[in-house]
Amino acid sequence: MQRQVALIKQSLFDQGYLDEQFMELEELQDDANPNFVEEVATLYFKDSARLINNIEQALERGSFDFNRLDNYMHQFKGSSTSIGASKVKTECTMFREYCRAGNAEGCLRTFKQLKKEHATLRKKLEQYFQLARQAGPKEIARRPK
Amino acid sequence: MTVEQDCVALDQFPVGMRVLAVDDDQTCLRILESLLHRCQYHVTTTNQAQKALELLRENKNKFDLVISDVDMPDMDGFKLLELVGLEMDLPVIMLSAHSDPKYVMKGVTHGACDYLLKPVRIEELKNIWQHVVRSRFDKNRGSNNGDKKDGSGNEGVANSDQNNGRANRKRKDQYNEDEDEERDDNDDPSSQKKPRVVWTVELHKKFVAAVNQLGFEKAMPKKILDLMNVEKLTRENVASHLQKFRLYLKRISGNQQAIMANSDLHFLQMSNGLDGFHHRPIPAGSGQFHGGAAAAAGMRPFPPNGILGRLNTPSGIGGVRSLSSSPSSGMFLQNPTDLGKFHHVSSLPLNHIDGGNILQGLPMPLEFDQLQTNNNKSIIPGNSMAAFPSFPSTQQSSLPNNNSHLVLQGHPQASPSAFPGHQINKRLEHWSNAVSSSSSTLPPPPAQNSNSIMSHQFDDGSSSYSIPFCDSTIPLAPAMDTNPRAFYRTTDLDSNANVQPGGVYYDSLQMRQSGNYGPTTDALLSSNAKEGFIVGQQKLQSGFMGAEAGSLDDIVNSTMKQSQGDLSEGDLGYGGFSSLRTCL
Repeated sequence: MQRQVALIKQSLFDQGYLDEQFMELEELQDDANPNFVEEVATLYFKDSARLINNIEQALERGSFDFNRLDNYMHQFKGSSTSIGASKVKTECTMFREYCRAGNAEGCLRTFKQLKKEHATLRKKLEQYFQLARQAGPKEIARRPK
Repeated sequence: MTVEQDCVALDQFPVGMRVLAVDDDQTCLRILESLLHRCQYHVTTTNQAQKALELLRENKNKFDLVISDVDMPDMDGFKLLELVGLEMDLPVIMLSAHSDPKYVMKGVTHGACDYLLKPVRIEELKNIWQHVVRSRFDKNRGSNNGDKKDGSGNEGVANSDQNNGRANRKRKDQYNEDEDEERDDNDDPSSQKKPRVVWTVELHKKFVAAVNQLGFEKAMPKKILDLMNVEKLTRENVASHLQKFRLYLKRISGNQQAIMANSDLHFLQMSNGLDGFHHRPIPAGSGQFHGGAAAAAGMRPFPPNGILGRLNTPSGIGGVRSLSSSPSSGMFLQNPTDLGKFHHVSSLPLNHIDGGNILQGLPMPLEFDQLQTNNNKSIIPGNSMAAFPSFPSTQQSSLPNNNSHLVLQGHPQASPSAFPGHQINKRLEHWSNAVSSSSSTLPPPPAQNSNSIMSHQFDDGSSSYSIPFCDSTIPLAPAMDTNPRAFYRTTDLDSNANVQPGGVYYDSLQMRQSGNYGPTTDALLSSNAKEGFIVGQQKLQSGFMGAEAGSLDDIVNSTMKQSQGDLSEGDLGYGGFSSLRTCL
């Protein structure tokens, strides 16, 4: 089971869903903070879901207030970076580029992509955490070798 | 102190350092909190800037350091930075996902002592304690410089000596060359006390001339020092002054055309005045600038220290902006007298505990404007000399009604609602104007003076003045808030207090102050919407009183020297003041 957990985590890294920042977070997890990473991930998804909603609404309105969109995305990028959500971060960057270029079409496209990545990551992480919990708390704290 | 002792005593320090973390992003905040815990700091978090301010205001000494995100929905991070610097004089570190140099620059100009990029790494957080030590160290150094006795400067800060000692050692290792000189000179804390350098107008002129000669961008402290060719001025002094100057200019240049040459007075005033108080961002260590009020009192020539300091702090910047933006070129006093005004303003603070602070903030903007418009340099000498003195006395010539007039006008307009600093500035201006006017008229009875001043001001056109005065209570608070702290820590005041030469004047001032401040300030405070300030004011007042006395004394003395009647002037100032205050 532990191996399974480790494997999943490794694959997440390999596939570029997560980056070193995630590892930093795991470093912070210890006895005092046994579920730190999971807590942070939960927070992140909660926050980002809200942001995604906001962005979605803004886009649907069709007014394309690029500044506003850029702001939202900046926040999104910030938290994604903090958690190490690598692919999501990339999409955020692209989105902002389109915003700056005033490219509405590009924004919409990227946003779709971003949502997809986000959903995928969420699923994978949920899976990972669940498994990790089952495998036993100690496992979570270990880094994959 | 032996090395071991120092180490032992200091070893505790980074551990348990109390940090306040502010970030609207919950994820980042949680991560930051965890990282800070890992560094063994004591962490408090909040995701609202307003809440952060409340926490800070409720107990000034509750935190050592603030880390704040830049983009926050309820308040701009830079604004929070300014407020914290102005009110609490704590080191603030900015945090952002923006790596754009413009933001970093903004952070610096608003007084941040560091700027970190997200995602934050623990290695970076492990060293942030240096900012706390540095700011205490600088404050101590500043106060030490102004202080005649050993140790008095350090009274306020329990750890300062230890920290300084450690800082000295540590800094030797990590510091850039800037510090080396200083440290070499001051190998142990007790030897750090050097006579404070007062940046007189003349000195500042030389400084500016040197800077202009070298080219503003290229001006380096060493070269400036060489060009200035002033004995007993150290590179540290120049470096510190240069930093303040730059910050000041940056602030100003946003609003007005480059004032550079003209801002001498303003700048001086500001830098002189604030030294002690909020120079968190700017190492006040250099004894060049006297801690705001205290400095003014003691230092005489430039009360503005406080002001400058103020300006330098975020609030100052805000204040300046607001001032400049208002129709103010007129505001600022087209006349040379403005300068005088400025001085007055600075002197005010001395008299009034809260006033002192306010003035500090205000004078700056005014000063600059004046400078710009008028090239007031010449005027300054006369007026600016003592915050106090100018106030009652010298100004007369310089302070034509116009000044006050202008000031007043500027004041109302200038006062940005948002920014307490501004308000303070305005107030100071008012006061200074009022004071100056009164002083110019000379020793008419204080009541009269104030009245005349007021009317004068009104005549000029700023009829709304009295009201603003009364209404704005805030100015005091911020200043006051910082003052006690400044005073306690930097002991500028302390030194001044010790001086106490002019018994009579001093006493009367002191008494008046206490008398006035107590009731009026309280009233003001309560009426003031700006809670934060009010609270600060109150606190300051009490704290200030003592300090004020000392500073007042000095101010008085200086004033006396400069102007004609001492008492009368003092009275005038006071009277005017009190009358003004009653308005409030």
